[in-house]
Amino acid sequence: MPIIETKHLYKHFDGVRAVDHLSVAFEKGQITSVVGPNGSGKSTLVNLLTGMIPVDGGEIVVAGSVRFTKIKSHEVKDYGITRTFQDVRLFEQMPVLDNVLVVLTERGVFASLFEKHSPYHLEKAEEVLRRVGLWGKRHELALGLSYGQRKLLEIARVLATDADTILLDEPFAGLFPEMLKVVVDICKELKVKGKTLILIEHNMDLIRELSDHIYVLDAGKLLAEGKPQSVLARRDVIEAYLGE
Amino acid sequence: MDILPQLILNSLIAGSIYAILALGFNLIFSTVNFFDLSYGAVAVIGAYAVFYFSKLLGWPLFVAVPLGVLISGTIGFLLYTSVYRRLRMRRSSNTVLLVASLGVLTALQALLAIFFSSQFQTLSATSSGERLFSLFSGSITETQVIILLTAVAVLLGLAFVLKLTLFGKAVKAVGDDEEVAKIVGINTDKIIGKVFFIGSAIAGLAAILVGFDTGIEPIMGLPLLLKGVIASIVGGIGNVYGGVAGAFLLGFVENFGIWKISGEWKDAIAFAVLILFLVFRPQGIFKK
Repeated sequence: MPIIETKHLYKHFDGVRAVDHLSVAFEKGQITSVVGPNGSGKSTLVNLLTGMIPVDGGEIVVAGSVRFTKIKSHEVKDYGITRTFQDVRLFEQMPVLDNVLVVLTERGVFASLFEKHSPYHLEKAEEVLRRVGLWGKRHELALGLSYGQRKLLEIARVLATDADTILLDEPFAGLFPEMLKVVVDICKELKVKGKTLILIEHNMDLIRELSDHIYVLDAGKLLAEGKPQSVLARRDVIEAYLGE
Repeated sequence: MDILPQLILNSLIAGSIYAILALGFNLIFSTVNFFDLSYGAVAVIGAYAVFYFSKLLGWPLFVAVPLGVLISGTIGFLLYTSVYRRLRMRRSSNTVLLVASLGVLTALQALLAIFFSSQFQTLSATSSGERLFSLFSGSITETQVIILLTAVAVLLGLAFVLKLTLFGKAVKAVGDDEEVAKIVGINTDKIIGKVFFIGSAIAGLAAILVGFDTGIEPIMGLPLLLKGVIASIVGGIGNVYGGVAGAFLLGFVENFGIWKISGEWKDAIAFAVLILFLVFRPQGIFKK
């Protein structure tokens, strides 16, 4: 069963159709990759799915029953969805540990004014930071991390949310081999745990290795879909959109 | 009486008022990243609420003062929900928000003048003067002692909330990146609403203290706002604690600046400090 579906999803910017009546489905417990040349609408799709930009037409269906034509970003977490960003976005002025703790925070109206983190929150934060190898940097400001460490912290934040559906926007770009291995292993572990992963990625070797299904977009429209081996072998896809 | 200890005391008292103003202003600015000019008028409303309850209705100060603080906080919260939130949802630029808040400042000051007249009023309980204390060869009134203690209490209270509570972390996250804060599940709207309430309540407290020390008038909102803004910029705009450093620097420079010249130069000195910082150290004493 699809965990997220789009039906005739539409978004334009100043007359340019960024996502053009797109209907795609992301199956529960699978890794689905969305590929295509720059400007094909991949990141716009992620932004629409996470409520960061308003939908102009069509709808988003979550878990087969909840239909959105308008989704609020802060409610996305309530539907078990989270994401990373192509240009890593952290809480720069906060220490590494707080970047994770803030995700775990429960926010009652008055209680939060006096409430501190519970031992459970701290244990969970330690667990995810150890997993990405950043526990030793927990007191450093996010601002001071290297590019790769920033990507890993974003992944740690995703792990802390315990979301069922995770949208990863170019998670492997610019990583050193050892960091790349950590992120690839985490993706595999998440799949084993039954999480749904939506990958926006340009690294075709990793897409072949990880994906159960891929969608190829061009100019906001669906160009091809299917098993990665067969779709990525298509000459028209290779020549026109993947530049290989 | 030696002049130097008195100048130091005066500087500390002025710095304390500016510090309270800067704490509230910077709290709001660091979260929403726009200059809320209505902050000054919201502060004065709290002072006039105390004037109304204590002087006109005769209620005791221990009821009137907390009510005044609560009213300032509530007005700030309502302004956010009714004006600024709507503009932000429409993705209005910071210039639009600035102009809107200027309009609110002007309108609220006019309303205060209509309801309470433009006459200068005082909040002090006694007409025969206050108790005076001697400190390091200088003298300080009871109200001024309360001002010093309140500034310390507000600073410590806010530091506790921002540094140690879940709410504080959420406030910092919203100030850092509001979009990402939403994605990780923070209801940024509620957080900003609370920030406006707390920041405006702090502003109200500052104006009430000024009202007891010197007095109130409807147009005092703008000078209060400007001192809070100057202290914030000098200390480091958006840095809640930097504003406190800026406030005391401003208090000292103002009071020592008029040691040998007329007191009317005070505001000119404050703005000279602002311009010097904008030109030579625009990030302020501390960065955000």
